[in-house]
Amino acid sequence: MNLKEWIFTTDHKRVGILYLIGSLAAFAVAGIMALLMRAELSTIGPTITANPTNYNVWLYTHGAVMILGFQIPALTGFFANFCIPLMIGAKDVAFPRVNALSVWLFYVGVILALLTFFIPDPPDIMWTGYPPYSTITTGNTAMYSFTVLILGFASIIGGVNFLTTVAYMRAPGITLNKLNIFVWCTLGAFVLQLIFVPVLGTAVSLISMDKYLGTNFFDPAKGGDVLTYQNLFWFYSHPAVYVIFLPFIGVVFEVLSSHARSAVFNYKMVVYGGIGGIVLLAGEVWVHHLYVSGMADWLRIGQMVTTLMISIPVGLMMISLVGTLYKSSIAFTTPMLYALGVVFLFLIGGLTGIPLAVPSLTLAVSDTYYVVGHFHYVMAVAGTFSIFAGIYHWFPKFSGRMYNEFWGKVGFWLTFIGSNVVFWTMMDIGVDGMPRRYYDYAHFPQFESAHQLMTAGAVVLGLGFAIAVLNWIIGAMKGPPAGDNPWGSPSLEWTTVSPPPHGNWPTPPSVAEDWHPYAYKKG
Amino acid sequence: MAHEAHHGDAHAHAHWDTSVWPFVISFGILFLALAFSLHFVYHASFAAILTLGLAFPLIIAGVAGWTSEAMGKGEGLSYGAMGWFILAEAMIFISFFVAYWYTKLHVEVWPPAGNVTLPKVLPLVMTFVLVSSSLTIHYAEHLLHVGNKGGFRIWYLLTMILGATFLGMSIYEWSHLIGAGFTISTNAFSTIFFSVTGLHGSHVVVGLAIFMAGLPSVMRGDDIDEGFMRTAGLYWHFVDIIWFFVVSQIYYW
Repeated sequence: MNLKEWIFTTDHKRVGILYLIGSLAAFAVAGIMALLMRAELSTIGPTITANPTNYNVWLYTHGAVMILGFQIPALTGFFANFCIPLMIGAKDVAFPRVNALSVWLFYVGVILALLTFFIPDPPDIMWTGYPPYSTITTGNTAMYSFTVLILGFASIIGGVNFLTTVAYMRAPGITLNKLNIFVWCTLGAFVLQLIFVPVLGTAVSLISMDKYLGTNFFDPAKGGDVLTYQNLFWFYSHPAVYVIFLPFIGVVFEVLSSHARSAVFNYKMVVYGGIGGIVLLAGEVWVHHLYVSGMADWLRIGQMVTTLMISIPVGLMMISLVGTLYKSSIAFTTPMLYALGVVFLFLIGGLTGIPLAVPSLTLAVSDTYYVVGHFHYVMAVAGTFSIFAGIYHWFPKFSGRMYNEFWGKVGFWLTFIGSNVVFWTMMDIGVDGMPRRYYDYAHFPQFESAHQLMTAGAVVLGLGFAIAVLNWIIGAMKGPPAGDNPWGSPSLEWTTVSPPPHGNWPTPPSVAEDWHPYAYKKG
Repeated sequence: MAHEAHHGDAHAHAHWDTSVWPFVISFGILFLALAFSLHFVYHASFAAILTLGLAFPLIIAGVAGWTSEAMGKGEGLSYGAMGWFILAEAMIFISFFVAYWYTKLHVEVWPPAGNVTLPKVLPLVMTFVLVSSSLTIHYAEHLLHVGNKGGFRIWYLLTMILGATFLGMSIYEWSHLIGAGFTISTNAFSTIFFSVTGLHGSHVVVGLAIFMAGLPSVMRGDDIDEGFMRTAGLYWHFVDIIWFFVVSQIYYW
């Protein structure tokens, strides 16, 4: 293996693998931060550190790195890179060098985020960076701004690249109604990235400009307004959940339909109603993050309506997922277990989100563990499970080898049980009044046993993830050859050899008139 | 692009395309970010200068290497990509305008203390210059399309001159305002004024840099890729359109 051909590669599959390695490393670091926080919270008072700032730094790193360093790069970096050109029958992306630039900018962003542990006065402003604290803290706000800006720029050029690729480079015969659901989902996510990431970039630039360059965007004494930041920040950061949600539900569609050997139920409803609906509504709901910050009542009501409305397209997708399983022949492989896990966990997360859309309820549970539990069900657990489902599903394709099915299932059940223990308990004590983000909870001694249960659950959860990652590493090195199409899928990426060569196919593929990525042979 | 030569090659397996420049640029940007922290957060200005000494050569070498590697190998897709890129760019400007509107309509007293009256005539002249440059680049594209190389060169140069004139007027205005004590730190409005005009000005600079990259080929009379010209022209029109918003919102409202 030639290391130079990996580091300087412009091939979409290798760029994808680089994304995968980087995002899994980020996942490990951010996961350790979560375990450190859980360890700290396992008893009242100082447990493993007497310095609350350490806890804030873990909290900052956990949130920022999980979202910006793990989930978005794994979904829109690894899966998009590896799968999209193969699914549309292209030899590569439209701009291979831009692709390489985006993966290395991603690494630079992750390096900046990890420097947090080695620099004096690390950033301590959570992943949200609200002023006025972020503009007066002694922590290094500039590091936060640059991390977000660089990762954001990487995802913008990635988005431009993939939208151009799918628009112009589809193989003959692949019409828009024959694109894989994953491709559609990812396109929706990239459109959202292009619209909303620049706003986040602006928001985080403004706090550093205020802090270091003497501007007055958020300084009320000079005519500025702190709420401007919250609006700009959430204008991106709410759609960011759809940037994660769309590709991850796309992965689930691919895995579910493949391992149930059943066409996606009501394809057009998913594409135009589900994905289209989310893209249209994504930008109209951000104000529900500001219910507590204060605003006019009529705005609250309007935002409640749009927020509740977004459960309609999401509901269409859930109907389709369940409909796909109806009268199918389900094989309970490891990727299928993870995909079914997503359906189950996302349902819990989705249903517990509905009360949060309603201002009168949100005002009561805002800033409690209920919110933390809810978004960990929706984003963290469902998102991560789908990433794991996807990695297992395409593992034979990108490595050419097979993982170990037994250890795959062990890993799944450990994570499934662990995550329910942790996050269900969180919602439970949240409703009872446990506030979030606290380093210590001496005023809430009644929650100590619940915290200890969650710490135990987190250890089980971490163990399950570690087993899965080890399973991939060992499988990629020593697994038995997998063959070109172990799942018997008609989708185009399975028609080339495993792992695919440079250029993907010796001769450009074309598809038959009656071909469809979900046209499974019966029997 | 890089992979193109090997398409259809029976031995595609044997060779994987590479380019070092994306890697070089990325790490240049890393040092740029570190230099900012060193100077503004840790007040270690000497270390910051050393870091910048790493950052700039890497970025410049990266951009130059990339340009020379990719020049003339466009696949005609850059026009479509530029459309998406402009969507993202437009959102940056919209964020600034929204921040401006939100602040202006949300605070009790506006304008904040310390404001000066902005010139009313100069922005109109600047508008005239920038709109003219949009028309000249459009005409240049047309001349290139019909194959009039000499005419194309003249209108191309004229566009660059108009762009540079615009930039000069912007600098003139800035220096007058700063001389009168109206700086980016004066109040919330001065902050908006300098950041929005500065952001727009930086886009003019980028546009001029794109024209600059094409200049040697234009002067030599080489065959200019029409796709390149259409892409550069699209970007330039975008910069022009944004200026209308800057003038109407910042100078006249």
